[in-house]
Amino acid sequence: MQPSSPRPSNHIKEEVTLAVANLWVSYQARRGTVKAVRDVSFDLRLGETMAFIGESGCGKTTLGLGLIRLLPKTARIERGSVTYTRNGIATSVLEMDSEALRAFRWKECAMIFQGAQNAFNPVLRIRDQVWDTARAHGETNRERVRARVLELFRLVSLDPDRVMNSYPHELSGGMRQRVLLALGLLLDPQLIILDEPTTALDILTQRSVIEVLRSLRNQLDFSLMMISHDLSLAAELADRVGTMYAGCLVEVADVYDTYYHPYHPYTIGLIRAVPTLTGERRDLISIPGTPPDLIDPPTGCAFHPRCPYASDRCREEQPELETVGTRHQVACWNWQAVLADRGARLIMVAGQE
Amino acid sequence: MASTITEARALAPAGVSIGSLLRKAARNYVLRRLAVAFIKVLIVVTLTFFLIRLMPTNPVEVYINELITQYGMSADEARNQAAALLAIDLDAPLSQQYFQYMVGLVQGNLGTSFRSKGTPVGAMIAQFLPWTLFSVGISLLISFALGMLLGMWSAYRRESVGDHVITTFSSIFSSIPNYLVGIMLVVLLGVQWKLLPITQMRGSMSPGMTPGFTLEFIKDIFFHAALPISTYVLTTIGSWTLAMKSSTIATLGEDYVTVAKARGLSEGRIITGYVGRNASLPLFTSLAISIGFIVGGSTLIEFIFVYQGVGQLLLNSITSRDYPVMQGIFLIITFTVILANLLAEFLYSRLDPRVRVAGGK
Repeated sequence: MQPSSPRPSNHIKEEVTLAVANLWVSYQARRGTVKAVRDVSFDLRLGETMAFIGESGCGKTTLGLGLIRLLPKTARIERGSVTYTRNGIATSVLEMDSEALRAFRWKECAMIFQGAQNAFNPVLRIRDQVWDTARAHGETNRERVRARVLELFRLVSLDPDRVMNSYPHELSGGMRQRVLLALGLLLDPQLIILDEPTTALDILTQRSVIEVLRSLRNQLDFSLMMISHDLSLAAELADRVGTMYAGCLVEVADVYDTYYHPYHPYTIGLIRAVPTLTGERRDLISIPGTPPDLIDPPTGCAFHPRCPYASDRCREEQPELETVGTRHQVACWNWQAVLADRGARLIMVAGQE
Repeated sequence: MASTITEARALAPAGVSIGSLLRKAARNYVLRRLAVAFIKVLIVVTLTFFLIRLMPTNPVEVYINELITQYGMSADEARNQAAALLAIDLDAPLSQQYFQYMVGLVQGNLGTSFRSKGTPVGAMIAQFLPWTLFSVGISLLISFALGMLLGMWSAYRRESVGDHVITTFSSIFSSIPNYLVGIMLVVLLGVQWKLLPITQMRGSMSPGMTPGFTLEFIKDIFFHAALPISTYVLTTIGSWTLAMKSSTIATLGEDYVTVAKARGLSEGRIITGYVGRNASLPLFTSLAISIGFIVGGSTLIEFIFVYQGVGQLLLNSITSRDYPVMQGIFLIITFTVILANLLAEFLYSRLDPRVRVAGGK
């Protein structure tokens, strides 16, 4: 599915919830240093939903984990800053001590993981895990927590009483995903990171999770960072889309522009690789080649070995994100050529009809 | 058990058949397990009865030969005396002896010892068994608890110096047979370095000590059991540690631990309720099974430290071909092993809700 029209953005406030600047994350592997996130910067405004799209292994999940500093031991945040703001008070996430970080997680920023199948402790009932979460953040009133959770369970269309008394294995995969989602909203976080929220779910459950997310976003005030390789999901929910390639953000634009006026050859490739149900029958085109080795990424623009527009400059110099339109940034030396080409193609398509 | 039957009666309409009651019982998880355990005991008892009698030389013959050589009796005289003393019909076929034995067993009678003229086997076991249960039981608890702690610590501090030391010692001590460690303790601590009064520590309590809940008595039995307990702990703690370490490492990689961290739970809560609880699950099964070997696994250690436990009794009865005593001890061993397995099953289904469902109602 694609966004039908430019989406009204009145639910987005001007206040920036999360500001990420020049973030670098790398893993120590046997073969060398894997640079999984390279120089990523973006701002997420209150109420805004931003989707991060890209192939597997492009650093999306690492970016998400890095923001709550839950990276595996082999990973290290090399450089950069992550600033979280709530009610005008800004805190630097990377400088928090372990206790401040513990309090920050879930209360301020909840991360809903991909494949929630094993997200719950198998030996505790859901109600105990809910209570564990609330208690860890200073909640003392069991009844209040219970009432809130029952309300949230209803919101994600779960049978509240049954789910509360269940063990995780007694729930289906889709139910577990929704329980985790409800649990994520328990403490009214201002930032929610969704990592592949619908992967591993069947199409009907996917639909209900999407509906739930959409209605929640209209009812509650939070910023959503959505990590997905599913472009249709991004199209349905996101206000803005960031395209990631080889650990870098290569294009950031409002969702409508991403789908209808993409400037980066990689974004174009991703969109062309998605089949559509409606609209013109066009050939699916996959991007040739594979994502690059992040231990020894290509010089210049990391996409140049797979890019039809690659020039000598692309092989030598790495492009930085530059603003090319309203809230539209792209990191490509040849975006003007891409633009011109698209114009030509549009004329060609029009001529055929 | 009783409640199911009354329940069945209460639920069933008048004129309920025995068949439907039986079917209901067959569907009961606990009853089914108990029935299987009973059948297991029956099979093992039967096997030991016949296998023991296949051993070369017969205790009665040994005894008759003794009478002939030591007291110069004639063969017939010796035979009659032996039969009278041992209250046994020597010419009865094996099947009849088996039948008599089983009848006695049902009545709780384990028979009488061949060698300690007329002493009931039950009384002998009752005298020796508590010491074994005490010494092995205490050491099992110590090594289980300590092993879990060390294993978890190692897993959390993986690749640290402490982890390497613990893992190396665990591997070494769990691969040395326990009787060698026992001999080593006697030789080094008792004989060479003379750190311990090894001769006074023999036996299970000092002569003249009256059993009771007095501090003096408790101190004394721990003094005597100290070396066997140390040996058991030293030789078993390694496997608990290694098992807990690998189980903890596996658990630490689980999604729910990462999610628990993301939920901002305190480190203490994650270690106990999320990592510890799940990592120890497989160990509880092993623990229950180890309880089964409390009785059987102590023979050599009790021999080395001259500790008056059931292992000592078993060793004596084997050398003197005292069938009823051997059989009595084997029966106790079988019983504890099967009971422990049963316990393991029930325990596991209590600890792990996923198994509870599979067990059914």
